[in-house]
Amino acid sequence: MELGPIVRAMGRNKMRIGLIVFEVALTLAIVVNCITMIAEARTQMVHPSGFVDDDIVQVRSIPFDKAFREDGYVDNSCREDVAALRAIPGVKAVTNTYFLPWAGGGSSTELRPAGSRGEMLRTQIYNADEGTVDTLGVHVVEGRNFTREDVERDHVRLRELSKGPRERGADNRPKERFTQDVVITRALGRLAFGDGPVLGKMLEDSDGDLYQVIGTIDNFYNPYGWPIHEYAVFYPNTSSSYDFGAQYLVRAEPGQAGAVRAALETRLLAVNNGRNVKVQSLEDVKRGYFAAQQVVVTMMSGVIVLLVLVTSLGIVGLTSFSVAERTRQIGTRRALGARKIDILAQFLLENWLTTSMGLVLGVALAYALNVGLVTAVSAAKLSGLLVVSGVLLLWMAGLLATLAPALRAARISPAIATRNV
Amino acid sequence: MFAYNLRIALLSLKRNWILSSVIVGGIALGIAVSTMFSATRHSLARDPIPSKSGILYYVRMDSWDPQRPYPGTDPTLPPTQITYRDMVGIMKSDIPVRQSGMFKASLYVFPDPKVGRPAQTLVRLCFSDFFPMFDVPFKYGSGWDKRADEGPEPVVVLSEEENELLFGGADSVGRTVRIEDRDFRVTGVLDHWRPAVKFYDITQAAVQGVEPVFMPFNFVRPMKIRTGGNSDGWGPSPSVPGFEGVLAGESCWIQMWVELPTTGKRQAYEDFLKAYVLEQKKAGRFPRPLNNRLTRVGEWMKEQKVVPPQLTAMMVVSLLFLAVCALNLMGLLLGKFLARAPEIGVRRALGARRLDIFIQHVVECELVGVVGGLIGMALALGGLAWINNFMKTTFVARHDLFRMDGTMAMLSLGLSLLAGLVAGAYPAWRVCRIAPAIHLKVQ
Repeated sequence: MELGPIVRAMGRNKMRIGLIVFEVALTLAIVVNCITMIAEARTQMVHPSGFVDDDIVQVRSIPFDKAFREDGYVDNSCREDVAALRAIPGVKAVTNTYFLPWAGGGSSTELRPAGSRGEMLRTQIYNADEGTVDTLGVHVVEGRNFTREDVERDHVRLRELSKGPRERGADNRPKERFTQDVVITRALGRLAFGDGPVLGKMLEDSDGDLYQVIGTIDNFYNPYGWPIHEYAVFYPNTSSSYDFGAQYLVRAEPGQAGAVRAALETRLLAVNNGRNVKVQSLEDVKRGYFAAQQVVVTMMSGVIVLLVLVTSLGIVGLTSFSVAERTRQIGTRRALGARKIDILAQFLLENWLTTSMGLVLGVALAYALNVGLVTAVSAAKLSGLLVVSGVLLLWMAGLLATLAPALRAARISPAIATRNV
Repeated sequence: MFAYNLRIALLSLKRNWILSSVIVGGIALGIAVSTMFSATRHSLARDPIPSKSGILYYVRMDSWDPQRPYPGTDPTLPPTQITYRDMVGIMKSDIPVRQSGMFKASLYVFPDPKVGRPAQTLVRLCFSDFFPMFDVPFKYGSGWDKRADEGPEPVVVLSEEENELLFGGADSVGRTVRIEDRDFRVTGVLDHWRPAVKFYDITQAAVQGVEPVFMPFNFVRPMKIRTGGNSDGWGPSPSVPGFEGVLAGESCWIQMWVELPTTGKRQAYEDFLKAYVLEQKKAGRFPRPLNNRLTRVGEWMKEQKVVPPQLTAMMVVSLLFLAVCALNLMGLLLGKFLARAPEIGVRRALGARRLDIFIQHVVECELVGVVGGLIGMALALGGLAWINNFMKTTFVARHDLFRMDGTMAMLSLGLSLLAGLVAGAYPAWRVCRIAPAIHLKVQ
């Protein structure tokens, strides 16, 4: 196959060639930048939480009956709820905690190693009970989990503490320091105490109150508004009051989450009807948290598919026109001895050359667009591998799009050359 | 002549319907994608209150921790909300023509037992100025007056949806709603107030739609109402226990808006805030450097990134997509027109001027643009409905977040015409320059 005639023929059709070159170039630039944005959204979406997300169901009890304003009543109701939830067939574990994974937030505080003058460290903080670790499916790596006694004892102590004004010293901090046992995430342990032992160590908050580490857990990841996704402190306490309601997380046996979820509301309202009960699977919570990213991923994917389709159809169209225009020349070439395969090769090679020119320009455009997006909307940077894949994809698409019109060209009969159209 | 050109164009499109559907379909896709992405972004980015966005200011003061700045992306910024005690302090100023501190809470509303179970409902606590300040439209009645603020008198304003739920949509002014342990009298019902962005409180859930119930702010103390939004705290816990501690402490949980119609007022209010903070500093509060902010609606929305940057990126991408579609259209039209060269040769020989040929082909291109554009707009509406539905099933309790307004419809139509013209001008010019003789000879 000689390149000379093909290149000269292309030179005589600058506009058509130029259009394909620009189309292919823009397509490559858009496709690789879209894939980069999709990949960025996906990395957040597939980050594991460390919890058994699929099996967890969230239950919120929001009381309106005034009886819930009474401490004894609210405590008792919470105990009854947990017992009722545990009794549901297919339930593996239950916890009473305000912690809700994948909600995009929660509660946080500032702590530092006790006695240090260092920076306060921001961390998530939640109450927990003896069932929290099992329900989430996280592992105690050092020390121990809370016991029921821990929860009951600290619940009484914390309620006492919240009642009266605390006597303050000259620094406006309470004179008497309150100490409680906590379980922390391993990431927070490392942040606060480095690689050394963590068990038995103390943390203090801005009131000077103390938190003694009795255990550490792994893995923990809960995205938060501030970059503290892996830091968390759990302290033993029940979570049930008139103002904030009660929240339970229920872990179902694998595959049972749907059935368990369906039974929850009726079961709890049967225990106490002076409230509303809201049930949501953790999968739904997660879907809500990632809704915006999901829209980006879906829309960007749609654009990529449509773009490759439009460009391919464009190549089909332009090549078809070019075949139609050159019908007589092709007939003449065939009459002079060119085989079908020669005609096919001529068109495929011409289009391959055109696409390749487009791709060279496209790589430049892709990086230019990426620089723009990075500075304007802090998008992610392009990866070289991705650009290479994009080039391969468009080469394939270009060849496939050329194939049908090129085959039609190859079928043109030599006799056409003799005919006066 | 135009009608004639249009008829020729229609005939030409009908002649090869496969090619025509590829041509029209391509431009329809381009318009659909670019309109949908632009409208999505525009729904959030547009000025939510154009009549007053220049004179409404969001108030912030830096009452945060001396040790370190308020956590967030930019350490030079003060907390996003203010404390209760500072709201009370600065509300004493008579410089703003209207002003209101506000926050949202979740409270139980008890409907008539025949209507339904008690339901926890979002309530916005605010001052009477809220309604005239934000040009809130009323279907029935109106907001409450300043006397009701002071009392506070048990009055409420309901959203259209809440009025539908509680009173079947009837004029409920004067009727009673039970909220938690008190009865409230309805003074007004909103009339279809559905800004895409809840611009008066974008610190959390900025696109969730307006609250169903509004009540006087000063019920916060007697009813011990805690915020249902963000509450950011630092330092030692308040020295007073319980709810009074929330009011007395350094927790930031209130949004504060003022209306300052003139630069003079604005300057005066800036001076007032400065004096207020300096006074507080004497009392040992506000340990950080003076950092008061008066921010207009638009700037505040930008600062809080109400429009996610991905949406902007997607809009850019969609416009480039349209450019590819236009290039594609140009190629296809060029081929199509040139294939028609003999016919044009005959017309030219019969006396058609170059201009006639040019106009005839441009009309055909614009016809393709408009038809493609209309199909594209219909597709975009479908796409927006899909996103709205997806949002509703996942995290926004509303189905009207993303809309195509007049501006977007005009933009869409404009882009269709532009695409038709850009794609069609060169092919039309090429064919009008065809020399008649050559083509006549071959015939």
